[in-house]
Amino acid sequence: MYVLIAKQFIRSKVVQLSLLLLLALGIMSVLIGKQFLQKQERTLANVTQHQQAHIARNVELHREIGLLLYYLRFTLIDKPDRIAGLSIGQRDVNPSVQSVTIRTLEAQLHDTDLNNPSNLQSGNLDLGFVIIYLFPLVVIAFLFNLLSEEKEAGTWRLIAVQSNSTLRFLWMKLSVRILLTYCMLGGILLLAYLILSLPVNRQLIAFILVAILYTTFWFAFCFWVVSFQRNSSFNALTLLSAWLILAVLLPASVNNYVANLYPVPESLAAMVKQRERYHEKWDMDKKITMDKFYTHYPQFKKYGVPQETFNWTWYYAMQQMGDDESLKERMAMRAKIKQRENASRWLATVIPTMHTQLLFNDIARTSLSSHLQLLDQTIEFHERLRLYFYPKIFENAPVKSEDWKKFKPEYTRAENNINITFALLPLFLLTFGLASWGVFNFRKTNDA
Amino acid sequence: MLEAKQLSKTYQGKEALKPTSFTVNKGDIFCLLGANGAGKTTTINLFLNFIQPSRGQALIGEKDVVKEPIETKKLLTYIPENLMLYPNLSGLENLEYFSGLANKKYPKEEFLKFLAEAGLQADAHDKRISTYSKGMRQKVGIALALAKDAQVLLLDEPTSGLDPKASNEFSELLTKLSKKGVATLMATHDLFRAKETGTHIGMMREGNLVEQLTTDQINHTDLEKLYLKHMN
Repeated sequence: MYVLIAKQFIRSKVVQLSLLLLLALGIMSVLIGKQFLQKQERTLANVTQHQQAHIARNVELHREIGLLLYYLRFTLIDKPDRIAGLSIGQRDVNPSVQSVTIRTLEAQLHDTDLNNPSNLQSGNLDLGFVIIYLFPLVVIAFLFNLLSEEKEAGTWRLIAVQSNSTLRFLWMKLSVRILLTYCMLGGILLLAYLILSLPVNRQLIAFILVAILYTTFWFAFCFWVVSFQRNSSFNALTLLSAWLILAVLLPASVNNYVANLYPVPESLAAMVKQRERYHEKWDMDKKITMDKFYTHYPQFKKYGVPQETFNWTWYYAMQQMGDDESLKERMAMRAKIKQRENASRWLATVIPTMHTQLLFNDIARTSLSSHLQLLDQTIEFHERLRLYFYPKIFENAPVKSEDWKKFKPEYTRAENNINITFALLPLFLLTFGLASWGVFNFRKTNDA
Repeated sequence: MLEAKQLSKTYQGKEALKPTSFTVNKGDIFCLLGANGAGKTTTINLFLNFIQPSRGQALIGEKDVVKEPIETKKLLTYIPENLMLYPNLSGLENLEYFSGLANKKYPKEEFLKFLAEAGLQADAHDKRISTYSKGMRQKVGIALALAKDAQVLLLDEPTSGLDPKASNEFSELLTKLSKKGVATLMATHDLFRAKETGTHIGMMREGNLVEQLTTDQINHTDLEKLYLKHMN
């Protein structure tokens, strides 16, 4: 019976075409992911090479360690996982590589890669996009006339006479469509696994689970709409509108709403203050700067207040003030960004498209929160460098006394500790609720 | 096998079928004659349980179709005026499909035998329904009745629009089934076929069963006269 239902379904030209299109886009998305990963790998290889050459060249050029460290950049890398190729998220805008000098940090923290802005505007057609935006369209195309096509083609009366339970018949039809969609999803994921050489780990399993549950949500949603037993064009129009609302309108509205709810004037304030507070120190008495600096780092008090016109201790103390005196604004800015992120996440729990996108990015470590973590780790990294080099600068240690070769790019990893069960719960509840409501609707009319 | 007991149906105060009683026994072919809107299709739909009676009962095999819909459905096959099947499946596949819905499973050869018995030419069995004529589709309907081993056949103007040869073939199939003991209730406009094929005739007018007779009681000419008398 299932074989015949599948035959009847697959022989439809529309079905063949939509499956083919989905497969083509799926493969394309995986290749785009591969391209992204290759670009990242090239960048990382270059960075490692560049840092070595850059340090070696500057060490040759400069005799003063204070001046040398004015130029030297040190790199912290959060290498994207292979699975980032499935959901590129914000990794295209937010760099995986942070290159910093030991001067004022805040100005360097938000440097980004150069990217083609038109690519950024349209976003990446990664597998996450295909699953979140295109799979639902195929699910809609498969299900919108689940029942109405029988009624409109006149086969329903014969079905009603022949089968003991029309609900069971619909379930058989539905399961063939669900199975076919899952096969498609599985096939594309398998291709992704092979093409991107994805490691089998918790991330991959979580990604697959989310993809399956999200697709199931759309099945439940379509089934629910179909259960009202309206005609095909009504169903198609309703489902497509719902898709538009869920995939485009709501995420854009939430974005706007959250941006308006938490404006971030602090970002400009932090930038201005950080620059001002460093630059004004040139015209101030050195003692004022040094006192503040020694309050922050009492362990360096012994280096005293310099008397000469220019001195590296004083210079780095001034740089430090750029960070120290803009701390309040910077913290406020970070708090606002976190507030935005939290508000978006909270609202997203009832918007499956957005929720799934956030989950995919979390799993692939390409989300904003991953990037915020990398920023925190960069701050730590920068502080470590400062504390290591400050005494050497203050004592004007000879450049050659340092083993510069040991400064290789450091690797870090922003971990996303997501509770996958809890994250999946909203999707599961929505799916279960809609499916039950749909079954209830059919039960009600099936007796008639 | 088939019995209407004071069966009636009212739509929003309008009586589509006034209390009507008749019986169709095994092997009978009961032809319902009457103008459009006389209540023929309503009667058939009541037996199919597509609509519920306002009063009275429709019984199949002595079981009430409303109270025991699954049991009574198992006994019957329904062929409407235009039997719609899946155009992208072959005749054989459609037969397997709709038999499968009724939980009837046979090996392929059996299904082919049913199609042959229903008079469908062998070279059409594996062709898609989209290439079938109406008469060929009605034959698949008969094959469906054979596969289901149906004891009751409900037909709603099955021969309208068929050419005389196809119509004749269809009538022969009905006779064949009736010899097997199948009880048939058929709505039709074709007086000639009703007299030729039917065993009983019921005439309907404005929801009333105004006349019941057996076909051996009357000849063609008198049947037409009687029909016109009732219709005017």
